[in-house]
Amino acid sequence: MDRWVLIIAIILAAVAAIQGARHVRRGSKSRWTVLWMLFCFIAQLSVLSLRGEMRACCPLGDTGEVLIFSAWSLTIFYMVVGSVYRLSLLGVFTAPLVCFLLSIALMPGLLDTSPERKIVVDGWRESHAAFSVLAYGALGLAAVAGVMFIVLNRQLKEAHTGTGLFANLPPARDLNQVVERLLWLGFSLLTLGLICGLVMEKSGAANKHLYVALGQWGSYALLLFWGWMRGMPPRKLAITAVVLFVLSLLIFPLIN
Amino acid sequence: MGLNHETAPVEVREHFAVSEDKLGAMASKLTELTTIAESVVISTCNRMEVYVAAEDRQVGLEVLTKHLSKDHNEADMSHLYQKCGDEAKKHLFALVCGLNSMVLGETEIFGQVKSAYKQALEAGATKGVLNRLFQKSFAVGKRIRTNTRIQMGATSVGNVAVDLAEKIFGKLNGSHVMIIGAGETSRLVAQSMISRGASELTVTNRSMERAKALADELNGEVVPFDSWQDALVKADVVVSSTGAPEPVLRANQIESVRRMRKFRPLFLIDIAVPRDIEAQAGDIEEVYLYDIDKLQQLASSAKESRAKQVELCEQMIAEEIRQIS
Repeated sequence: MDRWVLIIAIILAAVAAIQGARHVRRGSKSRWTVLWMLFCFIAQLSVLSLRGEMRACCPLGDTGEVLIFSAWSLTIFYMVVGSVYRLSLLGVFTAPLVCFLLSIALMPGLLDTSPERKIVVDGWRESHAAFSVLAYGALGLAAVAGVMFIVLNRQLKEAHTGTGLFANLPPARDLNQVVERLLWLGFSLLTLGLICGLVMEKSGAANKHLYVALGQWGSYALLLFWGWMRGMPPRKLAITAVVLFVLSLLIFPLIN
Repeated sequence: MGLNHETAPVEVREHFAVSEDKLGAMASKLTELTTIAESVVISTCNRMEVYVAAEDRQVGLEVLTKHLSKDHNEADMSHLYQKCGDEAKKHLFALVCGLNSMVLGETEIFGQVKSAYKQALEAGATKGVLNRLFQKSFAVGKRIRTNTRIQMGATSVGNVAVDLAEKIFGKLNGSHVMIIGAGETSRLVAQSMISRGASELTVTNRSMERAKALADELNGEVVPFDSWQDALVKADVVVSSTGAPEPVLRANQIESVRRMRKFRPLFLIDIAVPRDIEAQAGDIEEVYLYDIDKLQQLASSAKESRAKQVELCEQMIAEEIRQIS
């Protein structure tokens, strides 16, 4: 059942991505992207709910669940940020990433068919996982906004302004602010996740995971501290947000 | 029946112009004429047009011509065009879409026609025929603007610059514009920026008198020409148009204030020939440099792109007319 709902979520994300891309090519606004993403969000929520029932705890027990949770948090931040900043195009850029993460989660072996039901639940461990994945959502969306900034910046620099994409991209300064705010939000959630991680009961593997997480946290801290103290050209900030997120995704294989 | 910038020079158009608050009254007056049941009068700086629904087409034309010729001489009357039936519908639809405008695809005409129709409606000068026709024309106008790119891109250097500024900064509210050289084009660009919300303006010029005159006109402040570099820290947009033979703004001057500016975006508009701003300034990450060639090229491409859309718009209009005929 959970897999079928996951397939529905993938289809909805794909529809949002394709329809959004078609609108961008035509140079018109993709008002429906938000709606498709909302349906996709509901489908993801249903999958997580079903998985949570099966596990009797937060559904973050395997790589597949982590990927679904990440896609879900990416979508929820898009729903909030997209409407606040009227960045409907952010959905067009977010949808393919959500679709990609959900598709990977569906690959054989990543999503346990009969997950182990937990009898004792460690609250700190659950909170650590939930905060960390939510942080991934915010940082992922910062990377998406960063990509949008890089594209717009290039078009502005080269005076390549006649495309539908250029017409629909939000202003450069707004995008830069979105990247900055999402980085701060993601970093705050990451910090909470890390604190919970330091308190929870640890195994050998968990220690290894924590060192990597500390490295990731330190990188984001350095980026934000540098930007706050000395300022940073918007393009550099955007590129760093993208690079750090891609590197963060590489931590997944270390989780299990 | 009417005339526009293509059929009549301004000295003729001004004879036919109707002030905005009298459009409804004039439309109402026309319905008192024999056979004319409904009427809408449109008057803008580029056109004056009268739309009527008459019980008898031929009589209607004669009565209307006679009425207009009361206040205008024969030479003026010779500039008028007449369109009936589907041709008149096609004309109105094209008008609302901006296809008959001096700046192809401009959107202001849509509001002007809407306002003229509203006045005629309130004056009781329209009934079934013109109500349906005008409502349809607004729907066609919206459809064409949504489904074509007829209004895409700015077609003048000033508007291109302002559109780019909005693409960089979003709303220009609170933005700081600095003018180097108090020329006419700088004044026009600065005026456009202010009309879109830019609130702070600094003017510098070799002649302090001209700088002061421009600053007074645009409610800005003057900075002496030998110390304008300090004002660069606050500026978001710099418009330069001096007659200097050498660049007045160099890349190293911007480099020296980047940290103080906290790497905020800087939009440089160089409309001088020879150029005022060193080309290397455009290589700085947060700097967007546009010279007169780039701006003119963008304006020309927008004009070409709009012209290419005309055929598509006309097809859509023809399709709409087929549906209502």
